[in-house]
Amino acid sequence: MRALKLTLLALGAALMSTTAFAQVEIRITHATTGGAEKVVLDQIVADFEAANPDIKVKQIPYDDDIYSDTGLITQLQGTDVPDIYFQWAGYPVARDAEAGYAMDLTEALASDGWGDTFTPSVWSEGAGTMWQGKPYLIPTSLDVTNTIWYNTDIFAENGLTPPATWDEFVAVVEKLAAAGETPIVEGNNELWPFGNWASHIAAKVVPEEEYAAAFSQEGKFSTPGFEKALGYIQQLHDIGAFNRDMQGLGADPAMATFIEGAAAMHPIGSWLVGTAKELGGDEFHYAQFDTPVIDPDHPLAHSVIGTVTGFIVHAKAAHPAEAIKFLKFYTNKENQTKRAEAGSLSPVEGVNEAADLDAPTKSLAAMLAEAPAMVPPPDTTYPVPVAEAYYQAAAYVATGEKSPKDALAWLDETVAVIGKQ
Amino acid sequence: MSRVIERRRRSAGEWVQFAAGAVLVAVMFYPTVWMVLSGFKSNREIFRTPFALPSVWRWENFLKAWDVGGLGQLYFNSLLVTFVAVTLCVGFATAAAFAFSRLEFPGRRLCYRVLLIGLLLPPPTVAIPLFTELKALGLLNTPWALILPGAAWSLSLTVFLMRAYFNSVRPDMEEAARIDGANVWQIFWRVSVPMVWPAMLTMIVLNTINIWNELLFALLFIVDEDKRTLPVGLIRFYGYHSTDYSLVFAALTITTVPVLLFYFLLQKQVIAGLTATAMD
Amino acid sequence: MSGREDRTAPVSTGAANVLFVVPAMLLFAAFVLYPMVSAFYYAFTRWDGFTTPVWVGLANFQRAFADSVHLMSYVHVVLYILGTLVFEVSFGLAVAVLLNSDRKGFALMRGFFFSPVVLSMSAAGVLWAFVLDYRSGLLNAVLRALGAGDLAQPWLSQPGTALIAIIIVSGWKYAGFYMVIFFAALRRIPRNIYEAAVLDGAGPFTQFFSITLPLLRSNFLVAVLIAITGGFAGFDLFFTMTNGGPFSATEVPATWIMKQAFDQNQLSYGIALTVILMVVVIVVSLIYLRFSERLSVARY
Repeated sequence: MRALKLTLLALGAALMSTTAFAQVEIRITHATTGGAEKVVLDQIVADFEAANPDIKVKQIPYDDDIYSDTGLITQLQGTDVPDIYFQWAGYPVARDAEAGYAMDLTEALASDGWGDTFTPSVWSEGAGTMWQGKPYLIPTSLDVTNTIWYNTDIFAENGLTPPATWDEFVAVVEKLAAAGETPIVEGNNELWPFGNWASHIAAKVVPEEEYAAAFSQEGKFSTPGFEKALGYIQQLHDIGAFNRDMQGLGADPAMATFIEGAAAMHPIGSWLVGTAKELGGDEFHYAQFDTPVIDPDHPLAHSVIGTVTGFIVHAKAAHPAEAIKFLKFYTNKENQTKRAEAGSLSPVEGVNEAADLDAPTKSLAAMLAEAPAMVPPPDTTYPVPVAEAYYQAAAYVATGEKSPKDALAWLDETVAVIGKQ
Repeated sequence: MSRVIERRRRSAGEWVQFAAGAVLVAVMFYPTVWMVLSGFKSNREIFRTPFALPSVWRWENFLKAWDVGGLGQLYFNSLLVTFVAVTLCVGFATAAAFAFSRLEFPGRRLCYRVLLIGLLLPPPTVAIPLFTELKALGLLNTPWALILPGAAWSLSLTVFLMRAYFNSVRPDMEEAARIDGANVWQIFWRVSVPMVWPAMLTMIVLNTINIWNELLFALLFIVDEDKRTLPVGLIRFYGYHSTDYSLVFAALTITTVPVLLFYFLLQKQVIAGLTATAMD
Repeated sequence: MSGREDRTAPVSTGAANVLFVVPAMLLFAAFVLYPMVSAFYYAFTRWDGFTTPVWVGLANFQRAFADSVHLMSYVHVVLYILGTLVFEVSFGLAVAVLLNSDRKGFALMRGFFFSPVVLSMSAAGVLWAFVLDYRSGLLNAVLRALGAGDLAQPWLSQPGTALIAIIIVSGWKYAGFYMVIFFAALRRIPRNIYEAAVLDGAGPFTQFFSITLPLLRSNFLVAVLIAITGGFAGFDLFFTMTNGGPFSATEVPATWIMKQAFDQNQLSYGIALTVILMVVVIVVSLIYLRFSERLSVARY
């Protein structure tokens, strides 16, 4: 009798564990650690697991900068590689594809017309989702990496409206400075916040081939085009546009300063919306306008600076089929709409238009839809050391440390020392 | 020290000495006090009235900081890493110091000299090769990634100081034990260790402080959020919540006050130990 | 330091005694020596941590010597070390003498003075970053309250003031450490030397310069060595307060190495810089040790 009971128990245990065994676990590593975006992500994961009881999803999140410094390297080269990992479009995708970390997704995208659910532009040459003509990155977010947010109350108090041209912008800054306000606050101790904006300005002024050549180390930065671009930044410095502690201030404290109403404008990316909700509450009124037109004849005069981010399936993923299943679920209309409403604009066709977005996110979506072109930030398209050197040069000019000419000479010297990347 | 001095009244000079010392120490300690007080204020208050005492003593800031910052997990990780690393380090170092001071064996001089190299080398110089090595060993992102290098890097100083302490005490007790027929191991455990225990305690305190506060390796070798130690967690916390200073200061207070108390309690031992092992 | 070893006969001899040092040596070899040595291989390659290393010979070193930020980082670290000699070592010594008394309250004061040492660098960095904040920081608030509002500046945002600010914060943090070392040594000076000097009419300053300083010479030399090697290792405070900025004005070898290696995925270049740092520290330390051995004084 006892023996029978024991055998039954053992069988039962064995059965339970085999069912557990049949369960597959896919691992996703990414850089979303908080805010509305994380809430939605967790929701989508829970919904997926409910709909697919045999698949479990394990998230491995890291802070943004740890992710790109050491987090991703550790994961990719560990013994237990993630099935899916977060990546920025452009150079990182090409590098991963070339090194054999990324899986070619041509077939997966062709099945069920998955690839067609996205807006066609994400599969274009410049979008950075592909390498050698094959797609490796599934885009899940459209980010505007720099736009000029402004405090509508301060603008109203001074009788100002969003400028359409650079000259109007300068006039706005001068009026604010005269009224004793801090016209622009920026936290540039990591160089990329202002660097991003400076890249956008340069992209709108410098002839496209010259811009591309300089950043790919095939041409110099000391050109009339770049000098002109930095000249505009110098102009802003001369009229007292920037906060004095720009170089020592961090990106987050600067955003906090803006949200507290201590400055009129803050050029930063689309993620401000989430933080503004958390910190600003109802007393904070803000809106945004894109960097105004500087040279109306330039092909990128009305461009927007932004990038696509998404997920790559690891070439050596333990469970590629389940991983792709998850990504299809993640990029379906319903879930993308949820994400859009949490502040992450979607590259899936039709989502942004149909979603119930709040005012700032709506204006960002409209801006993206209307923009004739999207300029990628240089640190995702070109070698990072070169992009960062440019950011440094722009910072020199913005703080008045160097003139545009000297800054560009310094830049060329520095890039030469770095060597071909 | 001579008792006679205690009973004499203080001279004017001594009062000046006391006053000067008090002012200096007050200025030095003020930032810490300010940090703790600010932890009790609201964010607005910190900006509006930075010097005043809190109008309302907001104990809830601390609960919130503990929760939001995941301080419980951070504390646990730091405790684990520190405890194991310090035990390994002081244990191995005392044994080695005993050998360098009391024993003779081939290669003694060489081993000691090699260990001293660690005193000269700045840890950042090996951070990157160490990163690659830990990755190859599969230890990256585990507590061992901090325990083993942490213990290894504290060995040099600990061995140096322990050996100095051993050298400053005559080996009479150990000689006696040897004559009594004890073998080396027994001499070590029964006689030497109890004898040098005060110095060991000092090294335990010093190494605990160093390893507890270690930042560079903790930043590089641990990437998962739930395995982080306090120093790294603090910086992340500051970056993410930099907008809410009351929370940041509450977190800072929670993380520094216990260490301060630990030190104040053991202050006497630390000074006594340092006096005994004094830099020769 | 090690010097001559005048010890009594060893308690035990025999090769088996090696076992006492084996654990320490193994741990040390595995996590200190091995990385040190393996660095020498990677320094000659080009490697970003993702792809396989490619041999490039001396290219990294050539770049290192043309890299102006790298060269300036050594200037900054030397300035920092000089600063610590003033604000940490000398200040620590002065306070050790000031607080050298058995009277009530002095032990407590010594404790408080030492307490910043116990804080973690990140805590100190965060605290002082806020104290030095331009708009809402304590220092500028004090200046404005005293009517010296013009002196209020973005301390950590200006190349001219950032390094000095870090040096002062470092002094705040570590003066207590040196104070304790000197205090422990002061305790060993026999009272009667001072009593004799007082009888001869020597005032406190004379006592300090003629008695205290000479007797503390060897301690002072060791303290300077610690300050030098510790200075070259400087990372935590620089990372937390300014991360090398503004415009690389507070870039020191350790922070620049980390930036190159990790922020820009150029691990091999970072390792080459690391090798250079190792060589510099060892050479400087050996020179200093030789110099200080000459100055060494007999024990009392």
